[in-house]
Amino acid sequence: MADYKLYGTSALGGYNADFEGATLKEVTGLGIVSVSAPLDGKPALTAAVKSAYGCALPKPALSVLSKDKSARLVSTQPDQFFILFDHAKPDAANHVAGLLGDAGYYTDQSDNWLTLALSGRLARSALERICPVDLGPEIFNVNASARTVMHHLGTLILRTGEDDYLLLSARSSALSFLHVVKTSVENVS
Amino acid sequence: MIINHPLLGPRDAEEFVHLGDAALVDRPDWQAGDALEQFHDYLYLRDNPAGEYRELWYHEQGDRSWLVVTRNTLTHEISKVELARDFARKQGRSA
Amino acid sequence: MIRNNRIDGGLIDRTKSLKFTFNGTEMGGHAGDTLASALLANGQRLVGRSFKYHRPRGIFSAGSEEPNAMVQLRHGAWQEPNTRATMAELFDGLHATSQNHRGSLEKDFLAINDRLSNFLTAGFYYKTFMWPKSFWEKVYEPIIRASAGLGRLSGEPDPDTYDKGFLHCDVLVIGSGPAGLMAALTAGRAGARVILADEDHLLGGRLNSDMQEVAEQAAADWAAATVAELVDMGNVRVMPRTTVHGVFDHGIYGLLERKTDHLASSGGKPRQVHWRVYAKRAILCAGATERPIAFANNDRPGIMLAGAVRSYANRYAVATGKHLAIFTNNDSGWQAASDLSAKGIAITAVIDTREITPPATIKGAALVMGGRIRDTAGRKSLTSITLTNGLTLPVDCLAVSGGWSPNVHLTCHLGNRPVWDDEIAGFIPGKSLPSGMSVAGAADGDMTLSAALKSGVAEGKAAIQDLGLPPAKTKAPDSNDEHFAVTPFWQVATPKRAWVDLQNDVTTKDIKQAQREGFQAVEHLKRYTTLGMATDQGKTSNVLGLAIMAEASDKTIPETGTTVFRPPFTPVTLGAFAGSARGKNFRPTRRPPSHNWATEKGAQFVETGLWLRAQWYPRSGETKWRESVDREVRKTRASVGICDVSTLGKIDVQGRDAATFLNKVYANGFAKLAVGRVRYGIMLREDGFCYDDGTTARLSENHFVMTTTTANAGLVYQRLEFARQCLWPDLDVHLISVTDGWAQYAVAGPNSRKLLQKIVDEDHDISDEAFPFMACGAVSVCGGKPARLFRISFSGERAYEIAVPTRFGDALVRVLMAAGEEFGITPYGTEALGVMRIEKGHAAGNELNGQTTALNLGMGGMVSKNKDSIGSTLSSRPGMQGEDTLQLVGLRPVKPADKLSAGAHFLDVGAAAKLENDLGWMTSVAYSPTMGHYIGLGFVKYGHIRQGEVIRAWDGVRGTDIEVEITSPHFYDPDGGLQRG
Repeated sequence: MADYKLYGTSALGGYNADFEGATLKEVTGLGIVSVSAPLDGKPALTAAVKSAYGCALPKPALSVLSKDKSARLVSTQPDQFFILFDHAKPDAANHVAGLLGDAGYYTDQSDNWLTLALSGRLARSALERICPVDLGPEIFNVNASARTVMHHLGTLILRTGEDDYLLLSARSSALSFLHVVKTSVENVS
Repeated sequence: MIINHPLLGPRDAEEFVHLGDAALVDRPDWQAGDALEQFHDYLYLRDNPAGEYRELWYHEQGDRSWLVVTRNTLTHEISKVELARDFARKQGRSA
Repeated sequence: MIRNNRIDGGLIDRTKSLKFTFNGTEMGGHAGDTLASALLANGQRLVGRSFKYHRPRGIFSAGSEEPNAMVQLRHGAWQEPNTRATMAELFDGLHATSQNHRGSLEKDFLAINDRLSNFLTAGFYYKTFMWPKSFWEKVYEPIIRASAGLGRLSGEPDPDTYDKGFLHCDVLVIGSGPAGLMAALTAGRAGARVILADEDHLLGGRLNSDMQEVAEQAAADWAAATVAELVDMGNVRVMPRTTVHGVFDHGIYGLLERKTDHLASSGGKPRQVHWRVYAKRAILCAGATERPIAFANNDRPGIMLAGAVRSYANRYAVATGKHLAIFTNNDSGWQAASDLSAKGIAITAVIDTREITPPATIKGAALVMGGRIRDTAGRKSLTSITLTNGLTLPVDCLAVSGGWSPNVHLTCHLGNRPVWDDEIAGFIPGKSLPSGMSVAGAADGDMTLSAALKSGVAEGKAAIQDLGLPPAKTKAPDSNDEHFAVTPFWQVATPKRAWVDLQNDVTTKDIKQAQREGFQAVEHLKRYTTLGMATDQGKTSNVLGLAIMAEASDKTIPETGTTVFRPPFTPVTLGAFAGSARGKNFRPTRRPPSHNWATEKGAQFVETGLWLRAQWYPRSGETKWRESVDREVRKTRASVGICDVSTLGKIDVQGRDAATFLNKVYANGFAKLAVGRVRYGIMLREDGFCYDDGTTARLSENHFVMTTTTANAGLVYQRLEFARQCLWPDLDVHLISVTDGWAQYAVAGPNSRKLLQKIVDEDHDISDEAFPFMACGAVSVCGGKPARLFRISFSGERAYEIAVPTRFGDALVRVLMAAGEEFGITPYGTEALGVMRIEKGHAAGNELNGQTTALNLGMGGMVSKNKDSIGSTLSSRPGMQGEDTLQLVGLRPVKPADKLSAGAHFLDVGAAAKLENDLGWMTSVAYSPTMGHYIGLGFVKYGHIRQGEVIRAWDGVRGTDIEVEITSPHFYDPDGGLQRG
């Protein structure tokens, strides 16, 4: 029997571009796992996360970094959060399950999302063209997060640094989302 | 319109989908003797007040939570927003 | 003849000379000019022809209220009609042409309309064009269309791009005159996030047009210094060239920012940006607009608003005439006269309707108190005015001031009504305002400069306090204060036409006629006469028209009422509302994982909602789509075919109560579904009608994966979350969409298992014993890559669906094609998918159209009576159970060569095509390569007991009437032996 191999492709094939005042690139190799707290299971999950990641559960509209900064936990729903961490293999959910045990319900979301990193002094100017959430730097602080809609596309936005943002949007509409963000950056630069 | 989400703060109504009267939470008991009549009224009869009205909104483009919004249908002023899950439990919904 | 009407001073930049053309004639101007001021500087009086009567018209105002000077700006694809010359900033190379004339502006053929004015009065549209009826379509309508509107569109696609955006602030200050600047300064210095917007490019409002003093400086200099301070504040966003056009609920405002309209070209950047602003508080400082007085022939080029004449002299350094007269009922007319006289412009006379002591002395001017103007002369340009006392004066520019109307528009956008204030003879904002909004300055009836400055500070302070910020400490600067007094005077009685609405050509005669004919209510007056309905929305004519109607009806103005205002305040280009959502980018496109590969294969694509799906894969030599589709069906059924089915909704369902939950949302039972098995499920709405179906697989005790139809994925998810959060909030069940995360391919045909065995790793047993029909499970493929395998069949063949994480989707389809080569594998698209499911008799969207029940679909037995599920109770309503209810059946043409059509209705043989004979309709149709003829699915009354009978498929749209035989819907492998293998 012939040996068939499967290679992985990212949503945009590793898009990476520089603009005057901003950089926009696809983040690849990210593991994304959703963790849901069972009914009445919040205390147990809190303890498991504290033990495995050294941090508390993320609060709504906020994200929190694990103690060793290798993972970012983002609140997505009242009883659910995502864990984002560098993990190129397609077994991210198993990896998290190994750390948290049966304290939560897990799904692998790594292939569900396109992740873009937008950075630079014009990042906020570009974002205010497409994002209805208040991104005022004193309001949307570092580690803040929001799920909103940008040009009809559901998006999760995270502020990871002074002028650094991560944008997650559905993988199937990746090209459309890239067009939205790229056009915005071009319009303000 | 702006909906003041109890957990996330004020959000544009465009992130939401509107369903209708919060009375939809009070789903009848299928084993009641007059279940057919009760379900009929539940689905088809609706109050239409000129004034305060409790309605269901779904934060589709946000945190996927259902909310019960108390809105004045004349002025659009929103006086209360709560998680529908909390509202449902207060209305006696369970498992 | 081009003249030079420039005088000294002004705020224009004489070091920057600009050239422009008007109707092909080249003229010159300066930076800081508008097109209107430059035209006036060049002595161009005539700028357009009026709408109905085609009378010669000139520039009337100096702002966005302009009714007359509407030009086509730019040319080619950029041509924009109805551009106010008073708002168009002059740039080098500007190209403008006049509107609304046949032939030249000077010799308009349609000026004949002016002679027919007796036939073109108010409401003539309702009294003419009636007879003969046949003339409407061929004669009248074309004529009306040709003369409708003022300007002309280019007819070409808009070559500019536009953008949209979102801004948040504590205080939105609307208008940058004295009140607005002080409000912004007060709030900005107190640390609030402020947005200051003004439609003008030069902020300062009337401070730039009046020769006043503020803080011992010239008002314009003080304004510039204040703007500079605001621009430097990090918490203040100054937005010139930005119109706040609309007020919406909860402090949301619509703003239109003109980014490049003042430049020769947009340089590839968005021309305009439409902003949605979320403001905690807003302070409306929109000032007031001057209005005229109605008198005979008051519409000639050269008759202008007094404040505008003052503005052209003070701000634009243009003398609008050589011999001016002022006609006024209030003190501001005198202030204009004083300013103009100080600039060396000759004032022939000041005519004041009031019998009072003259408020000022004007050098060389006759002062006529209690005066009235009876008539004017000079068709293409004013030459003289005649007073009621018989005096005729040679005057080439008449500055008229009938009072000032506060710009209350934005206070009314949410239905609040303004109130009449006798003291200023104008409407001021009512007590109830849009939430978060306050009003300052002339917009609130504070008509003098010092009052405006003070009220701006007061409202700024109030907003800061409201927001809970530390108190603001700003004080209003000193200013010289002018006097404001007005005595209402609306019209000079005359048998001739006296204009009220200049743009729509509505005169006092029309208003009186409306009153006589019973159209007295203000909403009727507006629509019967079209007063206030033009692009200027009656900014200089509404109040005047209302006052005249009040006098004609012998009522007070408050008794007569007022119309309210709706957004937009001034016209907004549709492109700005569209933003970048044009053409292909109107909505997002979703691409399945095999998209790139399918494109390489030359697939034909179809839009399914937002998805692009391969419809069929033509081979070289195939010219008709049926050739491709028939081949795909034959080859799949003969050996093996693959199809990308990633687009179907996939919802991950986990929890201790997951099975219980599924039992409540599906009509059929799921609680006892074994681990490692898939089950078909039907979902009802609460009214008992079917709305979606799919298969749900149990991967482990507490872990299911549900599929939905492609179209309903979002809706099903929403309804599931409603059930989870609102109906059964104490069930431990959790949902998350995984639609985009898995690439899923159907592998169908007799050789499907053999193909899969080449890629599924050996340690997973997919033999028929281990993996029977409706089995499912996690497997691995190609040396350890995670995958899920489901043995389900939509086609009726032995079939599977193999899913891998989307990252492997492109690779997997190529691997399947390579591995399938030995079996003559064919990819198949949505058409072949459809043909095969119709051959098998599977219901899909056409059958589950929201109007059919499980009973109609032949699945009545699937609705469990032993449990509560959404829709189960109401599905048992007697009206839905009758013997004669529709049943899903198959149809075949009696004559094998006949084509069937979906949408055809069924009738008995010999029955007339009437509604009462309707037996049902054809839902899905396909040519079946397997059967060798057309087949159809449809709903027929009594269908379950009419098998084998012949009825007719009648299609009134396509004009066909075919005899068809009722059969089982399962044309292909009715016993299901093939898929169970």
